[in-house]
Amino acid sequence: MGECHLTFLKQNGLDTVIAFFIKRLVTALLVVLTVSAMTFSMTFLTGDPAIAVAGENATQADIVRIREYYGYDRPIPVQFMSWLGRAAQGDFGQSLYLNQPVSIEIFARLKTTMTLGLSALIFALVLAIPLGVVAAIRPNSLLDRFALTVAVVGQAMPSFWFALTMMLWFGINWRILPVSGTDTWAHFVMPSIALGYFITPGVMRLTRAGMLEVLRSDYIRTARAKGASGFSILFKHALRNAIIPVVSLAAVQFGFMLGGSIVIETIFAVNGLGFLAWESIQRADLPMMQAIVLVLSVFYIMLTFLADVLNAWLDPRIRIS
Amino acid sequence: MKHLQLALAGALVASLAVPAFAGKSDDTLNWATDKEIAVIDPYFSVTRELVIMGQMGWDGLVLFNSETGEFDPLLAKSWTWDGNMAVEFKLREDVVFHDGSTFDADDVVYTVNFLLNEENGVPAASIYNWMKSAEKIDDYTVRIELNDPSPLAFSYLSNEISIMPAGHYDNAPTGADGSKDYSSVAPVGTGPYMVADSQTGKSILWKRNDAYFEGGPKGTPEIGNIRYRTISESNTQLAELLTGGLDWIWDVPKEQALRMEESGQVSVVNEKTLRISYMAFDVDGDSGQDFFTDKRVRQAVSHAINREAIATELVGPASTVIHSACHPDQFGCTQDVKQYDYDPDKARALLAEAGYPAGFEFDLYGYRQREFTEAVIGDLAAVGIRANLNWMQYGSLLDLTHKGKTPINHMTWGSGSVPDVGAITPHFFSGGADDPAKDPRTAEALARGDTSVDSAVRKEAYAEALGIIAEEAYWLPMFTYAKYYAFSKDLNFTPTSDEIPRFFEATWN
Amino acid sequence: MTTPVSTSAHTSPTKQVLRQALNHRGVMFGAFVVLAIIFIAIFAPMLAPHDPYEQILSRKLIPPVWFDSPKTTWDHILGTDHLGRDYLSRLIYGARISLMIGFSAMLISGVIGTTLGVCAGYFGGRIDNVINFVITTRLSMPVVLVALAVVSLMGSSLTVVIWVLGLLIWDRFAVVMRSATQQVRGLDFVASAEALGSTTPRILFVEVLPNILNHFIVIATLEMAHAILLEAALSFLGLGVQPPDPSWGLMISEAKGLMFFDGWLIAIPGTALFLLILAINLLGDGIRDVTAPENRN
Repeated sequence: MGECHLTFLKQNGLDTVIAFFIKRLVTALLVVLTVSAMTFSMTFLTGDPAIAVAGENATQADIVRIREYYGYDRPIPVQFMSWLGRAAQGDFGQSLYLNQPVSIEIFARLKTTMTLGLSALIFALVLAIPLGVVAAIRPNSLLDRFALTVAVVGQAMPSFWFALTMMLWFGINWRILPVSGTDTWAHFVMPSIALGYFITPGVMRLTRAGMLEVLRSDYIRTARAKGASGFSILFKHALRNAIIPVVSLAAVQFGFMLGGSIVIETIFAVNGLGFLAWESIQRADLPMMQAIVLVLSVFYIMLTFLADVLNAWLDPRIRIS
Repeated sequence: MKHLQLALAGALVASLAVPAFAGKSDDTLNWATDKEIAVIDPYFSVTRELVIMGQMGWDGLVLFNSETGEFDPLLAKSWTWDGNMAVEFKLREDVVFHDGSTFDADDVVYTVNFLLNEENGVPAASIYNWMKSAEKIDDYTVRIELNDPSPLAFSYLSNEISIMPAGHYDNAPTGADGSKDYSSVAPVGTGPYMVADSQTGKSILWKRNDAYFEGGPKGTPEIGNIRYRTISESNTQLAELLTGGLDWIWDVPKEQALRMEESGQVSVVNEKTLRISYMAFDVDGDSGQDFFTDKRVRQAVSHAINREAIATELVGPASTVIHSACHPDQFGCTQDVKQYDYDPDKARALLAEAGYPAGFEFDLYGYRQREFTEAVIGDLAAVGIRANLNWMQYGSLLDLTHKGKTPINHMTWGSGSVPDVGAITPHFFSGGADDPAKDPRTAEALARGDTSVDSAVRKEAYAEALGIIAEEAYWLPMFTYAKYYAFSKDLNFTPTSDEIPRFFEATWN
Repeated sequence: MTTPVSTSAHTSPTKQVLRQALNHRGVMFGAFVVLAIIFIAIFAPMLAPHDPYEQILSRKLIPPVWFDSPKTTWDHILGTDHLGRDYLSRLIYGARISLMIGFSAMLISGVIGTTLGVCAGYFGGRIDNVINFVITTRLSMPVVLVALAVVSLMGSSLTVVIWVLGLLIWDRFAVVMRSATQQVRGLDFVASAEALGSTTPRILFVEVLPNILNHFIVIATLEMAHAILLEAALSFLGLGVQPPDPSWGLMISEAKGLMFFDGWLIAIPGTALFLLILAINLLGDGIRDVTAPENRN
């Protein structure tokens, strides 16, 4: 791959890479802008935001003061620009419930959610890639069918049921894993499996398809003809090529997982961003909700951007399309 | 690859020796509720959790004794009333705060003046606005003046007024919007426990205050550490209790409590509380759904709901059906008012009379113990009324009810654990934001009760107001709450009816 | 998912597909289960032994008949729930609500996604760029979080849940329809229709849409399953369908409190939901196998 990439650079010059990079960056920034506009518009789903911010026991004077401070009396585009300006500096305002700046709380929780998301991703990849490879080597074998069953069942079971069932067996009946919390790595085992299991089908299917395609290609036939061993063909040549789309899928799924960990975090009392989001939704803590949606979206956009760049780096054909 | 996987699996099993969980073995009592606590301060975090922790970390001047029904001296050694409008406290001289400073009259004066200063915006004004001022007589004597004669004064002093060290809030940073950020004020009190560590949304660890003064009504704390944990999913709380990760939970639904009791693994207790469940009608039609402006419709709803079945089947043996807008254990709470027995036929007849023979559809709001509200919906459906449930968090729902946006809200009230009608009925029927009817007759009668210290006058005034409320069916009082507590067999704990678990009195078996 | 439509040169492709479908175990199983559940949903009032809303608190939590308990009765084959309502009847009526949510949300998202995808794929150029941008924007917003936030701000009801889900899950339709249209567009018959001067709407409806229909059906099944699962997750957190309407997601959510003690309460609606999703997915996968066999992955 490295060689391939170098020859490509020689042919097309570095400017193609940079042009691609810039084009994707501009798109990503535009998406961020649009998403923040949509997030901002959530403010107006509840009626007068000043009353919501002022909360209970607020006097009319409080409401007027807040309306002026937050500028709810200005035209909406102006309000949006100033909100965006402050958000860009990491100032998302004050939480209505927790009595402290939104950004402090979010960044405190982000670490926990990242840990959970990463370990879930690792679990999914460790389970899915070998299954996908094995399934591709022996299509329609018993193992292939088993892998397919894992995939189909994984897609059909509600995640909370799966999580609670796991808690019942591993936590209560067998007592081999702690039930909830985040104190040690063992606390992360069940939430990671519960969260990661649901992306295994996709990763597995993609690995299998990629392997099948690569194994049928001339490239592998040549390697075989040159006398490379079966093991070396599989791992040195085939998997390396088949893994490219899996990498970008994994990046995308990681983004989805961060946004989708609400249910799992609630069940396993993981005090991450998902749990904070859910609590904020329940207590109508609008500044917090907006900030979390925005942070997660921006994170996802960054991930897909990186995945795109990585892909373009690994597979020069993508840049042209 | 296979080898790697096997090795990984091996490592996994080997290291799964579960870490020694808390509990008796490491002298840490773990308890949990579903709330996230960001501000560890009894004034700026208006939650039951902070009432409980407020008693752990702070002391008031007096303490209610649920066995004798009297007030025991706590930070005060003794007191003398000067008429109805002033009381003078002699303070203990052997008390130190967690930061080492000595407790004296300045601290009491500072605390009261801080509360009374409107600029500080301390919520829940009812707990302190009966006071007019606090004045230092000498280092260990304080005189508190009242605005009006207040029969509930000592209840508030006991449950709500925690004494802070002088200057406690002075260094709170001011936020961009002009409000003070009290979350960064380190909690300092005189109580039997002090905060050792806290993580928002996760836990608050309290450790025993070994310098706690001897001979007070709170006794001497025994358990070394008490950790509060936030666990919002009730199944997870149960699972943690069953596996020893938690030592104490409450608000366990009846069926779960019974099953746990059967299993014999934990202690289960059903204890009555001062909390009642009620439904408030939108009497003046502010919500835009004006069915309940008609008294007959309100009465129909009252007859349609089988409160007896809900109390016995869903709540628990310590729960009883109530008919007036207060808890039967509260002073002045009479049940001798118009009662609406369960009678679906009568409900249908009343509906037909009011012009809704086929029933109607409306929005019902609730926030606590969903199955109770669901049972209400089921009973209403049986007489043809379709209720759409809107399930919310307490704060948001309260906001809506204050704006009058709820046709019916099914809510609860715990009276701040004060055993007196003055802590509930006047709050809801004196024309304030929570008053669904704004009937001047109830406001007038309640005002008479609130400002008198003569028991007979108060009883009569409250009975009059309660009678009007029942006659007009402004509220449907539902039942008293009974709480299921479940705790470790290692723990020696006794629930009290004021819903303030006294962890500082708990011991290990 | 990006392979061209299989326009087999053999005599009757339709017949061939049908024969393959009949021999495909996934399709047959999926179709059978889905049809059975649709049948149950349509004839719910005739099939249900009780009124699903009728609550008798004193008869709550009767276990199903196969349990060894003195409380069991053939009057309540699957027992009763925590408020004493007949579980079988609620399960039967629940099929209606779960299917309705899945189907309506799928339809809304299908219309949005297909319109965007076909336009992007057919017109290309600037329109394609704009629509691609819209798709990327949508993908970057966390679905569960946005759905929860909007439902909680607007208040939860069946209609709100359906619309919120429908407006959120159209992305896969758009992506697949776009690439399918791009491929169809390059085929001869579209070019010749253009050359003959057919109007654009005519080309889209007569030439393009029928040829990407199989892709639509595959995505439709996946998204229907997706919507039903999302509703279950919303219900679990208390923001899905509101009681007393019995959706399967809500039944699971109401049963969760007793799952450590009375596992059957959650297992019954859980299995029903699992079977439905499994069947819909197998049907979708099967249709893809049959219509584009080279595409199985």
